[in-house]
Amino acid sequence: MSNETREKLLKKLESLDKMPTLPVTLIPLLRYLEQPLEQVDVRQVVDLISQDKSLTAQCLQMANSPLFGRWQNVDNIKSAVVSLGLQRMRDIAVSCSMLTLVPSANKVDPVVFWEHSLGCALVCRQFARKIKYADPDKAYLGGLLHDIGIVAHLWVVPEEFQEVLQAAQAQHIPLHVAECNLLGVTHCQTGKTVAEKWHLPPDLTAVVECHHELEKATAHRDLVAVVTLSDLLCRMSGLGYGYTEDRQVNFQEEEGFNMLLKECPELKTFDWARFTFELEAYMEEVHQLVRQLYRPS
Amino acid sequence: MSTAATPARLPEKPSGPPNPHLIKIRDVVYQVAGIFQPDNKLRSFEDRVAKRMQVLAVTSLKDYFDCLTVKPIRQAELIALLNEITIGETCFFRNQPQLDALRNIVLPKIVEAQTKIPVKTLRIWSAGCSTGEEPYTLSMVMLEEIADRMKGWTYEIQATDLNERSLAHCKHGVYGAYSTRNLTPHFKQKYFQEKGDGLQISQEVRARVNFTRVNLSDNARMAFMKGMDIIFCCNVLIYFDVTSKRRVIQHYYNNLLPHGYFFLGHSESLYGISDDFRLVHMPSTTAYVKSQIRQVPR
Repeated sequence: MSNETREKLLKKLESLDKMPTLPVTLIPLLRYLEQPLEQVDVRQVVDLISQDKSLTAQCLQMANSPLFGRWQNVDNIKSAVVSLGLQRMRDIAVSCSMLTLVPSANKVDPVVFWEHSLGCALVCRQFARKIKYADPDKAYLGGLLHDIGIVAHLWVVPEEFQEVLQAAQAQHIPLHVAECNLLGVTHCQTGKTVAEKWHLPPDLTAVVECHHELEKATAHRDLVAVVTLSDLLCRMSGLGYGYTEDRQVNFQEEEGFNMLLKECPELKTFDWARFTFELEAYMEEVHQLVRQLYRPS
Repeated sequence: MSTAATPARLPEKPSGPPNPHLIKIRDVVYQVAGIFQPDNKLRSFEDRVAKRMQVLAVTSLKDYFDCLTVKPIRQAELIALLNEITIGETCFFRNQPQLDALRNIVLPKIVEAQTKIPVKTLRIWSAGCSTGEEPYTLSMVMLEEIADRMKGWTYEIQATDLNERSLAHCKHGVYGAYSTRNLTPHFKQKYFQEKGDGLQISQEVRARVNFTRVNLSDNARMAFMKGMDIIFCCNVLIYFDVTSKRRVIQHYYNNLLPHGYFFLGHSESLYGISDDFRLVHMPSTTAYVKSQIRQVPR
């Protein structure tokens, strides 16, 4: 790609003029995350979600999935909040709100990105719990939002991004490497612009920006490391972007592993094999759930 | 051990959280045998447990858990349950992600590690080869690779098992529809001939597979299996107690070349058994290596 084309592309990406704004429902929900749970008004959350009919339907589908620990039917948002708890309901509402962000008319199938993002969110939370990381719910959000730069690429440079994906598939290389080769910019850099425009909290912005370059993270390194390792595990376990990366990974030699060891000594004896086998069950559920939820208009 | 007169009935559970006792049974099987049943396979695991409960005339999962953990029959029962879990697993191309990893990652790495060695022979050991589907699959894969990306290479496959009847089946080389269900038309046409109701493996595939009876607990015999590039040992170690398992793993470790790879069966793990081998992830599969892995640039 010529420097001129790259400059044009960067300009487009920086302005993000074609990128949708954050869904209205999401803003207060994300804001709530920054305050203690006891201060959150349950009725307000229920009202907020219930205002949007399609969001309500999606939330209920998700709330009834075994992935969120619910085994009996709930048929309204209030019951879902009572039954699952506020924290879980927020995760569900944020996840559903994010689904509305992907362009439906696109040459690239956006379903795989949501499968990866939702799968990664669930894996992040489970991994965080297992290694006794302090904030598994934050890890969930980190996993959910880490690839928002890809959503920006789908909106702003759809044709160029299609070429990137084809190249990554053909060469079996990580997507960010193909982006770097062909666009000269990765979804981490673009994602950082989106995160700032949306006023995401600094820890989530760090995740979006640094999940492929941990050394760049100057703060919130533990959270970034949790998401980085979970993201890699998803990509190695069939929850990637619809293709396989031909590579061999030893998690104990990953930078994120060493970064997390001090904060989470449990990691030293972590059973990576068992956790990998456990993910098999996640994959089926995530595929099924995202296909149910994702209804291009 | 008594046989059952009345079948054990598990409560009807079309959906719902898994029974906590079933989870405990799943966990004890993983701890003792090293094979894991993920949540999406729990239904089929429960069916297999139910079969064993029926044989023992045990009516609750809690009582069956006791059969596996505290009752005198526990060792025999664990083996019986493992037999249920692994029943019908043997077939050609059983674990496709493992074979893809072999072709796309492992073999290119071994070729790269061996560039300066003039005699290019790859040595694979299929330990506990049962009726031969695994070593013959590996032989077909190697023939394909040698015709393509590994020109100038040759290979030897050591296929070993304890059971003489299984080895006789291997040598006969005729397989029924169940064993051959995963064969693509390409492999079926190229490497098999019809024989009676079954398919017979071709001479080309057999030529480099050497079948021998080896007891994995025979230390003297195991010490002679040196110089392996890759070892496959699928659904075999699950039957060994921890001490025997550690001893066999040490032999595998010693018999592998420095760049060697060790593959277990699907959902099998060496966790808590060996610190010498290191777990590596490849797309949708895992393996063990003995050397430090050079990282791919990220």
